[in-house]
Amino acid sequence: MSFITPTRRRFLAGTAASAAAATLHGPAALAQSAVTLQLSWLHSVQFAGSYIALDRGYWSEEGLDVSLQPGGPNAPVEPPVVAGSALVGISAADYTAAAVNQGAAFRIIAVAMQKNPFAIASLPGNPVNAPVDLIGKRIGMALANTPVLNALCAINGINPSEIEIVPTQYDAAPLVQGQVDCLLCWETDLPVAMEIQGVENVTMLLADHGYSVHSQTYIATEDSLANRRAELVSLMRGEVRGWEAYQKDPEAAAELTVGTFPNEGLDPETQKLQAVRQVPLMFSDLTDEHGFGWFTDDTVAANVETLALLDTPVDPALWDRSILDEIRG
Amino acid sequence: MKRPSHTAPMRRPFLRPETIVQILTIFALLAIWEGVARATADRFVLAAPSDIAAYVADNAPLLWRALCTTFLAAAQGFFWGNLAGFALALAAVLMPRTERVLATLGLLVFCLPLVATGPILRVLYGPGNGPQVTLAALAVFYTTFLPALVGLRAAPRDWFDLVRSYGHGRLMVLGQVRLPASIPYLAAGLQIAAPAALLGAMVGEFTGAEPGLGVLTIRAMRALDLSATWSIAVIAAGVSVLAFHAVGAVGRWLDLSPPSVLLAPPVDRRPSIWQIGAPILALTIALALWQGLMDLFDLSPFFAKRPGDVWTYLFADPASAKHRAILASAFLQTMTSALPGYIAGLGLGAGLAALLTLAPRISAVSMPIAVALRSIPIVATAPLIVWALGRGTTGTVAVVAVMIFFPTLVACLHGLARTPRRILDMFASYNAGPMRRLFHAQLPAMLPAFFASARMAIPAAILAVTTAEWLATGRGLGALMATTASTSDYGMLWSAIALIGLAAIFAHEAVAVVERAVLKRTSAEQLAA
Repeated sequence: MSFITPTRRRFLAGTAASAAAATLHGPAALAQSAVTLQLSWLHSVQFAGSYIALDRGYWSEEGLDVSLQPGGPNAPVEPPVVAGSALVGISAADYTAAAVNQGAAFRIIAVAMQKNPFAIASLPGNPVNAPVDLIGKRIGMALANTPVLNALCAINGINPSEIEIVPTQYDAAPLVQGQVDCLLCWETDLPVAMEIQGVENVTMLLADHGYSVHSQTYIATEDSLANRRAELVSLMRGEVRGWEAYQKDPEAAAELTVGTFPNEGLDPETQKLQAVRQVPLMFSDLTDEHGFGWFTDDTVAANVETLALLDTPVDPALWDRSILDEIRG
Repeated sequence: MKRPSHTAPMRRPFLRPETIVQILTIFALLAIWEGVARATADRFVLAAPSDIAAYVADNAPLLWRALCTTFLAAAQGFFWGNLAGFALALAAVLMPRTERVLATLGLLVFCLPLVATGPILRVLYGPGNGPQVTLAALAVFYTTFLPALVGLRAAPRDWFDLVRSYGHGRLMVLGQVRLPASIPYLAAGLQIAAPAALLGAMVGEFTGAEPGLGVLTIRAMRALDLSATWSIAVIAAGVSVLAFHAVGAVGRWLDLSPPSVLLAPPVDRRPSIWQIGAPILALTIALALWQGLMDLFDLSPFFAKRPGDVWTYLFADPASAKHRAILASAFLQTMTSALPGYIAGLGLGAGLAALLTLAPRISAVSMPIAVALRSIPIVATAPLIVWALGRGTTGTVAVVAVMIFFPTLVACLHGLARTPRRILDMFASYNAGPMRRLFHAQLPAMLPAFFASARMAIPAAILAVTTAEWLATGRGLGALMATTASTSDYGMLWSAIALIGLAAIFAHEAVAVVERAVLKRTSAEQLAA
């Protein structure tokens, strides 16, 4: 670390130009307050609602200059939110609960994915259509996700020792190569990749079998909730409007995503398929009635129950709907 | 005087025989590659050269922009990292008492895992390419520091005495003797640094960055897009090979004359108390820097754990026993892969260097492959090697060996080339065979460089094993540290970092003990006398 100190200023000076080009800013307007939204992964249609909000000026109408900071394999969301370099981060209920248990003062202020995107992907010749089909199968997954599988087993009365876990990195190759019978992955990425590559596959959503964990949740610190409320409300209002526009035309949102990031190597077909696939995860009767991002005491209670199985006990007070209530007003 | 025939300049035809062999070999390898890829297309492991060419042609503008982004960060990191490494070596030589402390501190900084530094750098810099540049700099500074240190001391004692006898001080010694002597060693270090900088910049992009080759790699692997994955790997490897040779050419241009005497670094003869004292002093300074820098930058104790937090986590917490047990079992798993891989990589590197000296013709074919092997980012090679050799210990051992093998090979080749001309001439005049020459003249001359690479290989082995564990096997310290992203268990992350640092220092001291013992027997003075 000793080398970072003396050279940091020079790096900053030298990279100022590229930094400006790297992050997206809304239409230029003076006297706008600048905030950062920390995304949980690389730019993709997964965050298309935000791109719509930026593109249509929803945030500049609110007097907000929003930077969207991409994530990556080595870019956890919680540190920049704790440090204050991002006002809001996109996390997941289990990650947030763990961080809170480690002493971070977070609140979940909205929920993008009502249904958890975790799925078991398999090939049609040897499919996993229900949890009971997992018995005797080899499942490829990151060992870090073992609690997820254990929770699914507990909910469905399966003995986890009857499933063989093969540690793999996060890609579909081990399934296609026959090293494993199924994969624990997101409904919206590896299965989509396989389909685009012409590999037929079957998926089973964990959320359809009792696994209730909110995903793509918006988190902010208690400090921000107390002291930067107006900015939070503005940020989330633009976000809600962006996603409601997304719901009307996911394919157009995919086109906007690809057009906004010409240098990211995004494949239009993949983005469109992903855009369509994530709609049932993000929108439901609940959001149709109350708006994007909504949650209730009942959905929170279901989360608390599943999180207890994941060994992350959590208080329902982690969810704070006051920002959404203010937007609904 | 006529120079010995094996170095005499010859009239060179337009295409030398080696060049023809090289071209034919490349074509043969491409043909085999194409055939294997076609035969295994449904297994999604290998992309055929024709597919790669097609992908590059279709996506040239995208790839070009990504390459420029990554290369710019790598070049900046290369500059700063090497400057820092060389400055540190200068400081160590000008103030010899600080050398061991500086070397240990450098080692500790170099061992900081990406999982820990990446997110912190992102918080410090905000958006932009700061983390990529810094990680590229961190990836090169230690591999420049060590050879520069050897080089700055690699002059015969009587040259120093000569300059001093004219009443000149340390600065004149530096300018007239040390700096010129260091150039060939520095060139070797910079050559190794070129691919490492690119790798550092790519891994830096994992912290959330503008799209460069690293971002495209992640995307391509997730999309199961083999042509894209391999195209990026080939481009990264190609650029690394070019950078490697460009630096080498500059080095050869500067290094005009072969050395006339054996240039081994002096054997450390300081009292043994200092041998133990220096690492302890370095550890104390490291702890102070750890605490001080985190306080200076006001990093949140949520993710930036201080030394005291780690102590509490491991020894003064109700769950401490459990924490220690988890950490110990992960450490054991990691060591079972790291240690055999380390030894195999060093052995292969030194062995091939010796083989290439006996049969220089192989060099034309094997060097480009060796450079390419090292240059393909470990994030791409680790999964491939593990696919090929399985997810058990063998695969991880191989990843470690591959990472270490190349720098060792380069350093040893440079070391072998340092064999004094006078001694080679003497062996030639006695008609000694190549084996005798190798064992009695060249290998002893190679040893200082070999031990320098044995030191360098310690952090390289740690990087390789933890990356393979993170990306492929899901075991050991690498996996344990990576899960921090989902569990926010930063106490465990920093405990693992502290343990890795201690293990690195221990390994470093162990190498130093062996080095002193061996160099005493084969030391320069005996051969040069």
